[in-house]
Amino acid sequence: MKYALLVAGVLALGIGAVSAQQDIVKDRQAQMKATGRALGGTLSAMAKGDKPYDQAAVDAAFVTLTETATKLPALFPESTKGLKEGTEYATSPKAWEDKAGFAAHIADFSKAVSETKAKVKDLDSLKANVGAIGKQCGSCHETYRLKS
Amino acid sequence: MLKRFLILFAFFFVTGLGVYWWLTIPATVAASTLPAHTADVANGKLVFNAGGCASCHATPKQDDKLALGGGLALTSPFGTFYAPNISPDPNAGIGRWSEADFVTALQKGTSPKGEHYFPAFPYTSYQRMTSADARDMFAYIKTLTPVAAPSRAHDVGFPFDLRRNVGVWKFLFLDGKPFAPDSGQSPQWNRGAYLVNALGHCAECHSPRNPIGGIEDKQRFAGGPNPEGQGWVPNITQKGLKDWSEKDIAYFLQTGQTPEGDTAGGTMAAVIRNTSQLSEADRAAMAVYLKSLPAVDGPPKPMRKG
Repeated sequence: MKYALLVAGVLALGIGAVSAQQDIVKDRQAQMKATGRALGGTLSAMAKGDKPYDQAAVDAAFVTLTETATKLPALFPESTKGLKEGTEYATSPKAWEDKAGFAAHIADFSKAVSETKAKVKDLDSLKANVGAIGKQCGSCHETYRLKS
Repeated sequence: MLKRFLILFAFFFVTGLGVYWWLTIPATVAASTLPAHTADVANGKLVFNAGGCASCHATPKQDDKLALGGGLALTSPFGTFYAPNISPDPNAGIGRWSEADFVTALQKGTSPKGEHYFPAFPYTSYQRMTSADARDMFAYIKTLTPVAAPSRAHDVGFPFDLRRNVGVWKFLFLDGKPFAPDSGQSPQWNRGAYLVNALGHCAECHSPRNPIGGIEDKQRFAGGPNPEGQGWVPNITQKGLKDWSEKDIAYFLQTGQTPEGDTAGGTMAAVIRNTSQLSEADRAAMAVYLKSLPAVDGPPKPMRKG
């Protein structure tokens, strides 16, 4: 009986650990989607002229982007390697094979967000500077993201 | 009886061989057919960027996209191709080529040695390039730094390794026609059509291919399985891009950002590095043309396993 309980307990722990890892995968996908909305749905949409410039929305978008930059380093733990991901994209194994390169990309993104945030005051400065963020998204996705 | 059969067999065999030989003669552009031309290096640079040359020919794993030493591996169902050195190095690159050699390579897919290139080199698109653009680009490449690294041999299995056989492929899929403007369309649309089809060679990846690697013409631009293996290439006819405005397409070509806020990754990121260097007007022209492509269903995307 004791053994059965012990086995059940260990199993439950194991399942719990796996689902916790799966939650990290979900978290990072949610964070990426939110980042996309902040950049594409707000900042780029204004730069393109699809939406009027709105300082409050710009500030909110930068809050999201800053949050992404802060969270990213913890969103790709080794324990999530090989776990099932979304239907669109998956993390390339390179993110874990070349940890230093991956971390450098995250640092570049973080820098681009804080520098751009400091520069954007109005529509013209948004237009002139917002490209720096998307450039970092693209350069990381080029190597470390796969299509499912 | 047997003798007669053998004679007949030999006759057909020799005739067949003759037809094969004649059919697969590599075509060239003679230097004498090229009119007088003063090269415009600035236009050559534009053609180079629009043509995406550096994406394959730049030496991988270093930052200088203008070091055209080659070596990037392109995997395909037929084997692995390695992009050759096209830097102006006289030995490893194209430093000793004539202008006619260069135009021949782009428009006919034939090397200065008179051999067929494999269609991993997208001459099915580049054949539509004007000779003037090709010559300007040649002059531009000549201004770049030579790289001494020799080209790596392709790793392709039989019978695809026999270059002469590429002649049969060309007979089927290379029509030899230059770009023909559509007089019913605006100059902007025609500029876009030229950039997308002759230089940008978008259809080379964004179209499904038949089992011997020819583009399925009816589904041109309708996407399909990634020719390099993993993933799916999106449909860029109005079936796939109906929610994108012309402005969205142009902005994407400039920044790599989709209207949903997603970012181009994988090999498209390299394409964006090229299109981001074009002028606003050229990106807008490409957008006008792409927006005009009628909606076409691509091959069905397989359900993801697991």
